[in-house]
Amino acid sequence: MKRPMTLVLVLLLALALPAAVFAGGQKEAAPGAAAAAAGNLERSLAVDTSGLKSEDGQPLIILQEKQREVPSRPANPDALPEDDPLHWWDIEFAGWNANKQNIPESPKDGAIGKSIVFIVHGDHPWTTACTLGAQKIANAYNMKFKPLSPNWDLAVQNQMIDQAINERPDMILLIPLDAKTAPQQARKINQAGIPLILFNTLPSAAAMDYCITWTGPDDFGQFRMLSRVWADEMKRIHGTSGVGVAYTQHAPGGSPYFARCWGPISELSGYAPWVKTLDKQAPGFEADKTMQLVSDWLTRFGRDLKGICAADDSSQALGIFEALEKAGRRDVVVVAAGNSKVGMDLVKDGKLFAITYQTAEGDGALAVQTAADWFNGKEIPPVKYLPKHIITKADVEDFYPPQW
Amino acid sequence: MNNDSKKGRGREKTLTFIDRNRIFLLFGVVFLVMALFAPRFMTSFNLTTIMRTTAMNATAAIGFTLILIVGQLDLSIGTIITFAGVVGLGLKQYIGYGGSVPIAILAGCAIGLINGLLVAKAKISSFIVTLGMLTLLQGAIYTITRGNSISLSSPDAFAVSDWLARMIIPLITPRVVITLVLVGGFTVFLRLTRVGRNFYMVGGNRQTAWLSGMDTDLYTIVAFVISGFTAAVGGVLFAMEGAAATLNLGNTSLMYVISAVIIGGTAMSGGKGGVLKSFFAILMLDVLYNGIILFGLGNEVKIFIAGIILAAVVLYEAYTRYKHDKTVGQRAELLKEVDELKERIKTAKHRAAV
Amino acid sequence: MEPTKTAAVDSRALGESVVNRVFVTVGVYLIAGVLLLLGIGLQLTGAINNFATAQNMLNIIDAVSMLGIVAVGMAFVTYSGHYADLSVPTTMAMTGYVAVEMLKYGFFAAVAAALLVGIVVGLINAVAIGKFRANPIIWTLAVNYMSMGVIRLVWVNKQIYPDMTASTVRASQMFDAIFRLRFFGRIALPMVMMIILVIVFQFVLRKTKFGVQLKMTGAARTPARFSGINVELMIGIAFVICALTAAVGGLTVTSLNRVGAWYNGEGYDFRAVTAVVIGGVTLAGGRGSIVGVLGGVLVIGILNNILTLLGVGTFSQDMIRGAIFIVVVFINARSLRKMGRDYE
Repeated sequence: MKRPMTLVLVLLLALALPAAVFAGGQKEAAPGAAAAAAGNLERSLAVDTSGLKSEDGQPLIILQEKQREVPSRPANPDALPEDDPLHWWDIEFAGWNANKQNIPESPKDGAIGKSIVFIVHGDHPWTTACTLGAQKIANAYNMKFKPLSPNWDLAVQNQMIDQAINERPDMILLIPLDAKTAPQQARKINQAGIPLILFNTLPSAAAMDYCITWTGPDDFGQFRMLSRVWADEMKRIHGTSGVGVAYTQHAPGGSPYFARCWGPISELSGYAPWVKTLDKQAPGFEADKTMQLVSDWLTRFGRDLKGICAADDSSQALGIFEALEKAGRRDVVVVAAGNSKVGMDLVKDGKLFAITYQTAEGDGALAVQTAADWFNGKEIPPVKYLPKHIITKADVEDFYPPQW
Repeated sequence: MNNDSKKGRGREKTLTFIDRNRIFLLFGVVFLVMALFAPRFMTSFNLTTIMRTTAMNATAAIGFTLILIVGQLDLSIGTIITFAGVVGLGLKQYIGYGGSVPIAILAGCAIGLINGLLVAKAKISSFIVTLGMLTLLQGAIYTITRGNSISLSSPDAFAVSDWLARMIIPLITPRVVITLVLVGGFTVFLRLTRVGRNFYMVGGNRQTAWLSGMDTDLYTIVAFVISGFTAAVGGVLFAMEGAAATLNLGNTSLMYVISAVIIGGTAMSGGKGGVLKSFFAILMLDVLYNGIILFGLGNEVKIFIAGIILAAVVLYEAYTRYKHDKTVGQRAELLKEVDELKERIKTAKHRAAV
Repeated sequence: MEPTKTAAVDSRALGESVVNRVFVTVGVYLIAGVLLLLGIGLQLTGAINNFATAQNMLNIIDAVSMLGIVAVGMAFVTYSGHYADLSVPTTMAMTGYVAVEMLKYGFFAAVAAALLVGIVVGLINAVAIGKFRANPIIWTLAVNYMSMGVIRLVWVNKQIYPDMTASTVRASQMFDAIFRLRFFGRIALPMVMMIILVIVFQFVLRKTKFGVQLKMTGAARTPARFSGINVELMIGIAFVICALTAAVGGLTVTSLNRVGAWYNGEGYDFRAVTAVVIGGVTLAGGRGSIVGVLGGVLVIGILNNILTLLGVGTFSQDMIRGAIFIVVVFINARSLRKMGRDYE
């Protein structure tokens, strides 16, 4: 009665584990000691990744023309008003004034065969695309590439970092789950003497002291560009009186939360001061909650609401348009952060006016390419941005098929 | 017949032993498998990582085990963990760790007290009370932090976090020591002291407990306070070691701790289980997940296995109860005598017919 | 986890006051009424505007339609004394995935497949909980994990898009219309579905033999079995109903999001239980009504609406909602006890 059950239980578990092992295969990376062959550097430098493309047909690595003009840091940014762009200096330009500590020297022996551990923040089609782009570059250099995802759990990401340190790879690439917890994570890797590149999510400034560099989208810059395009369109349709806008925000605490809301607000305060901010809320990434929020906004603000800026062009955007269509409001100009398939479809349909181009594959690819450049001994700037572009109906077809 | 029953009783004893201690055996099996097959599993660094990861959930599991033992449910432990971490770190810059940590832990106890009062005195189901408390606390956390997670980068914050994380002896860091002390202390308390054992009675048979003079309401309230206490300790320690507190720090802890405590053998019906078993269940799950990461397998495997283990445990317990209910009240020897009588009547009839 | 019944009833403690009696019978609608009055009052004082308009009221119902569909199914599980079905979120997500995949065989194939998923999950729950008496919370939690694992293993972390899998443009449009179809230009299909379900389920609960037997099962399981009720079947049907409404909800959410994704349906388990409990279905089972659940869902909607119109941030809203939840349940439990019923 009880015995067969217990036995079956124990047997099942004892069998399931090795089964999982053999099913999953040995995907782990051995320390890349075999990369020290002479000629590695020459071969590595000869690798040309400029021809690689991401799934949407765009080039995977777009060599950045000119990095941003970085204004000098004001003495006390927090003292400035929130709609002053310089108030956000520490978040927007994190990394440009870092005090690099104890950064390992590049071995300058080429990138062929090096082992890298690639830790993202969570499971999402975006990260699947990002990892794919990284994989393409890693394959070009024949690197041992180990991707890990903690599925949005900080404790698990910390554990993965510990386990990665234990493996002693040639480089760790990390998307910190949370800007504020990044310094401690970066410091741990730094103290273990392992080279580190942070990417995609801007960490808080202290973390920049411990990494080689940060690569990723210039969220603030993109949204400053987007807000100008947005303001111009609103001016064209509505003129400059009585224009109120609202913002649906990203998850609180991360850099997109600030960049996609305060970026436009602080930009428009100078570029289009006639735009009034009515409200900003964070409804999460659920279409029905966003729909309810926007419906209530329309009830509250009525015709005053002329524009909405969304942190997400899929679920949030869908919710926004459901609410707008219910209320019969076709005059609201909506822009969002892109670029998902749903978002691009909405641009094609003429609903979303403009979205930012944020290549997921390019994000991962740029991080790995920077790692390869470091192995090759090239000079690495403290921050490297992905190219900026605003997608509108005119050029949205260029970005199909969508990366995610 | 005497020999049979002796052998039978011996076998019964082994079965009961396996059944009662199944979590320790399971842990052993999992650990063995990982040690043999997982790359770099048996390094002191990796094992320390496991112990450090276990610390937070293991602490919260202590209190949760107690809650289940008294027959209640506490869905708010995840948010209490987050809350304590946020308070512990957030107040540091005003009153230092010496001030903020006790306040954070007291806050956890206070929340537990409110839960306990609502359950015991207002007689609302603990599922509902703690569900409401969960929503309320999560909203409170976001409101008081205004959406910003908290991180400290001052040298003394890093000093504390380094102290908590350094290895005293292989596998053991100060934070792990605190966890082990709590686990050991509560195990002894629940098993060996009279007051501790009373908790089992309150959960197992409330009427009897009340009739024998125990203040069942008090025990329930104390259980909730302890649950809040351990969750807060777990959260604060985790936040201090990371020198940071995100706003959903403890979100995954709830399901994790529930699964682990159930797998460990503490039943939802109350009156059964133990802190040590819960600890080993958490340890086993952590070893399992650690191994999965070492193999490079994805999150889907982790989630699926968690589900299978939980389902297997629940089904096993349910099936046992089902079988037991079917045979309850039966006396096997008498049934055997009935069968023998039936046989004799049959053969007698047979002979008579012939 | 059976709540034990203690203490005898002291007749002096019985408070058969009007307030208590009214509260117990229509409790949740009383709260809804209070909230409506609050809203109107705030509007009159100028704190908010346009609250008492048809547009706003319809918006409120729209916002809670999907929750309502799921909640009325969940109510059956709670009514049978089994607390909640925590496998609802993954049932919704899996339904979405399956439906989108099946769109390559047409719209009706997709809907049929979705409902089939609901039935299968419901049956799995029914057998484990009804027949083997596994703990409902833990079992449905385990099923939730396993379903999520299955989803991720089969679809390997990818989202799938209905407009890409659909066999014809027409099928894709019909799928899109599940959420977006509007009668008379304003009444959305989910709203209609919710109201129909409420009417049908209320009838089932009150007027059919199943409903009465379910009440007995929820009230006292063993006596119910001894009086000849097939308790396992009752519980089984309750879980299947819950999974079916989750499937319908999943179809709707997937249609709204225009994508089959594993996060469709996240959070619906606790939100539905909240609505069910506010609506007067007690966790111990055997008491409550589907009309009450509708009231619970409306209360949540009106509350959210007023708070957003007031400009209260989303997180403060969570705090207020949690507090109100506890208060409502407290008053409900207290009133019941004062009237001599239910000694949870």
